[in-house]
Amino acid sequence: MTTDNGVSLEARGLTRVYCRGSEKINAIDGVSLTIRRGDFVSFTGPSGSGKTTLVNLLGCLENPSSGELDLAGRSIFGGGKILGEKALTRIRRDTFGYIFQNFYLIPTLTVRENVALPLAFYKKPGVDGEVDRLLGMLGMNHRMHHLPGQISGGEMQRVAIARALVNRPDILLADEPTGNLDTKRAREIGEVLTDLNRSAGLTIVMVTHNPDMARLGGRLIEMRDGQAFESG
Amino acid sequence: MNPGYPNRSISRILKQLMLLMVLMLPAVPTTTQAAVNCELNYPASDVARLFPESDNYKISYFSFARQGGEPLLRKVEARLGSVPALYAPLNVPYTLYEIYKGGKRIGYIHGVNQKGQYGVLEVFVSLDMKGMIKAFYIQRMAGQWVNKFTLPKFGKQFVGLTLRDFELYDPVSGKGSGKVAAMTNPAPLAVTDFYGLQRAVKKNLVLMDEFVYSTQKGKQ
Amino acid sequence: MISRFQIASKNLLRKKSRTTLTLIGIMLSSWVLVSLLGFNRGYETALNRDIDNMGYQLMVMAKGCPYEAATMMLQGGAGLRYIEQTMVNSIAARPEVDKVTPILMQAFFDPDKGDGGGIAGYFGIDLATYPGMKPFFRFRQGGWFKNDTAAEAVMGYEAAELEQREVGDMIMVPEKNVPLKVVGILERTGTQDDGTIYVPLKTLQKISAIDKITTIGIKVKKDADITKLENSLYQLPDMQVVSFTQVKQTIMKLISTARMMVLSIAIIALLIAMIGVVNTILMSVMERIQEIGILKTMGAMPIDIFFLVWTETLILCSVGGIAGIGLAIVFARLSDILVRRILPYSPGGELVAIDIRLALLTLAVILGVGLLSGIYPAWKAGRVRPLDSIRSEG
Ligand SMILES: Nc1ncnc2c1ncn2[C@@H]1O[C@H](COP(=O)(O)OP(=O)(O)O)[C@@H](O)[C@H]1O
Ligand SMILES: [Mg+2]
Repeated sequence: MTTDNGVSLEARGLTRVYCRGSEKINAIDGVSLTIRRGDFVSFTGPSGSGKTTLVNLLGCLENPSSGELDLAGRSIFGGGKILGEKALTRIRRDTFGYIFQNFYLIPTLTVRENVALPLAFYKKPGVDGEVDRLLGMLGMNHRMHHLPGQISGGEMQRVAIARALVNRPDILLADEPTGNLDTKRAREIGEVLTDLNRSAGLTIVMVTHNPDMARLGGRLIEMRDGQAFESG
Repeated sequence: MNPGYPNRSISRILKQLMLLMVLMLPAVPTTTQAAVNCELNYPASDVARLFPESDNYKISYFSFARQGGEPLLRKVEARLGSVPALYAPLNVPYTLYEIYKGGKRIGYIHGVNQKGQYGVLEVFVSLDMKGMIKAFYIQRMAGQWVNKFTLPKFGKQFVGLTLRDFELYDPVSGKGSGKVAAMTNPAPLAVTDFYGLQRAVKKNLVLMDEFVYSTQKGKQ
Repeated sequence: MISRFQIASKNLLRKKSRTTLTLIGIMLSSWVLVSLLGFNRGYETALNRDIDNMGYQLMVMAKGCPYEAATMMLQGGAGLRYIEQTMVNSIAARPEVDKVTPILMQAFFDPDKGDGGGIAGYFGIDLATYPGMKPFFRFRQGGWFKNDTAAEAVMGYEAAELEQREVGDMIMVPEKNVPLKVVGILERTGTQDDGTIYVPLKTLQKISAIDKITTIGIKVKKDADITKLENSLYQLPDMQVVSFTQVKQTIMKLISTARMMVLSIAIIALLIAMIGVVNTILMSVMERIQEIGILKTMGAMPIDIFFLVWTETLILCSVGGIAGIGLAIVFARLSDILVRRILPYSPGGELVAIDIRLALLTLAVILGVGLLSGIYPAWKAGRVRPLDSIRSEG
């Protein structure tokens, strides 16, 4: 697992510059932050402020333009090196689970097959019972032979959560996980995430527009123009 | 092309090819291995001649293979009192011309092949809905006496007869009584063909009885 | 749990009609391909058998014969040219010649035979030499003639069936009205012999009032140079030489041109089918960009995605290929009939011969080409980055 200093992710001066034609956009502009194991961090901020970009960098989905990122004490980005797709995949599959606003379930596979999907490509040792355990924990047992088209949005996001967790990641990255759900379902998903954080000690990094959701986490970071401001 | 033989021109090769095709001409019917059946050569004009009051006809087929099989074949052979034929009659499709007038079926024309003295006899009769012969027609027969048999005088002897008349008479042994026994042979030398024609008509009527009239009765 | 194979095959079920159309394309092209390959082998075998069944490798006929033979067949014997019988001995004396047999071909018109009348083909043959040339003849009933002037006939199976003749029966030579006694009926050979009526040469000469012949069949000695003999025979005045080996070569040459054409059609069909495969798979990759990206966030390596998509190609091609080959085997006889219609000369027997080896070979070709065409879409899918999926969410 990780070295035991309790630090999960540490970013120092992360920047991400996008070029749009000749114009340069500093989507992330020198962000430094530390996320400890067991943290539940919420990012809010106006649209285009760089939340998604930052979470993608933290989740090793892409390389930063500059800056450094350590994962559990190990240097991932920094010193100008750029990681290839395979190296990033190796880091991601051991550490992260992802959920998104759109659930991206495979419509031709049943709920249970969707949850088991990651195991077809990569299987951490000792995750054998995880599919059924997670389905049970998320209250999806009775739906496991349904197709995604036959269940509600809230249920779909539960399935996506189970799928993200099936390889027992250390960190769950959630980019607007309730963006497509009504208030009631959003609250239920919020409860699920809180519960995962509290009882299982899962580190959660979440982007949300929803103030109620934002308040769930212990830490709230506001993004403005590619910069991060932690409140409290 | 073989450079050593400049005279071996394409035209020569084509000639040979043509020749080969000609030689192979008789092979064409061999590729269709269906058994020989008995059909009218010119059905449109033949039907009009044999059934003048008709205005339409339809062709259908029956065979032992499709209906009745081996047991029915044995039964028919028993009714005819003859030995089994050499050329597997099980698969022979019998061509039946159903005759119509104003949309109503008024009769049939049916022919059978029968072994004759110098070759096959192709003999047709037209029948009304009760099985009575209305006309008699020899389509194929070999021998000098053919024109004696095709005279109307000879054919008329069959008109008006039914299967019952033929049941009184055995054309294999030539024994029996009634109208069939009373027929005269116009060509005394052509014994095989004379009896062959009678056999053909009897076979024809028995087949019609088994395949057509009896099933009609069943439906009524 | 769930295997990658299941993921791939279930994905194909997503767009059923598209998958079906692609399958039909592959099926048809593999049908055409395997039938063609089968024809490649079957035709030559059948042709060889037919030519071997001729019994002699060379035939000498009077010049101009081919054309007149054609008219002869249609008009019933008028205008046929003849060869002097002395020619037989002069040819037999040549060193390359093993055996010769004189033949008189006659065709008589029978007005009552079928619709519009028909031709009865009679072969006058030499009892001493002809049977030796046709060692494969089998009698269903009876045997050869009593002597070389007997008023007797041996009938090919179909000629006998048509006339309902058995041994002991009589036949009547049309036009001439000469009766002959049937002494033998041959088994079916599947060749033109089945429709022929054989009569002793002298008998037929008497019937047609001719003392000549039309044809000399020549069996060449083993190891003799057929081409040389053929060319020297060709020097004879007014003589036409027919070499079955050469005719075979000519036919094979003609066929190979036709074969090349059809083969190119098959290859084009295959290419079109494969473009269909590429298109189908590429479209399904494009539609699934986000899903593929998600698979990558789950830990799927580019090579995993590559093989996943490649598997889809493999499934399409093997299902389509097997179905097409199956259809080709089931309808091989139908293809025979089609081929017979197209070709100038079709030997008897199976023309399209598909065996298990050929079927496997074709399947291998289909799979090979299929996998090749699957590379591009699979590579494209493998290169999808996880971010593409998330960014395109808008
Ligand atoms: N792939 C990209 N190419 C160009 N510009 C981008 C790209 N991704 C994001 N951006 C820009 O970066 C900025 C931050 O975007 P994003 O992180 O998606 O913001 P948020 O998630 O807070 O709405 C925006 O101005 C956006 O237009
Ligand atoms: Mg965003």
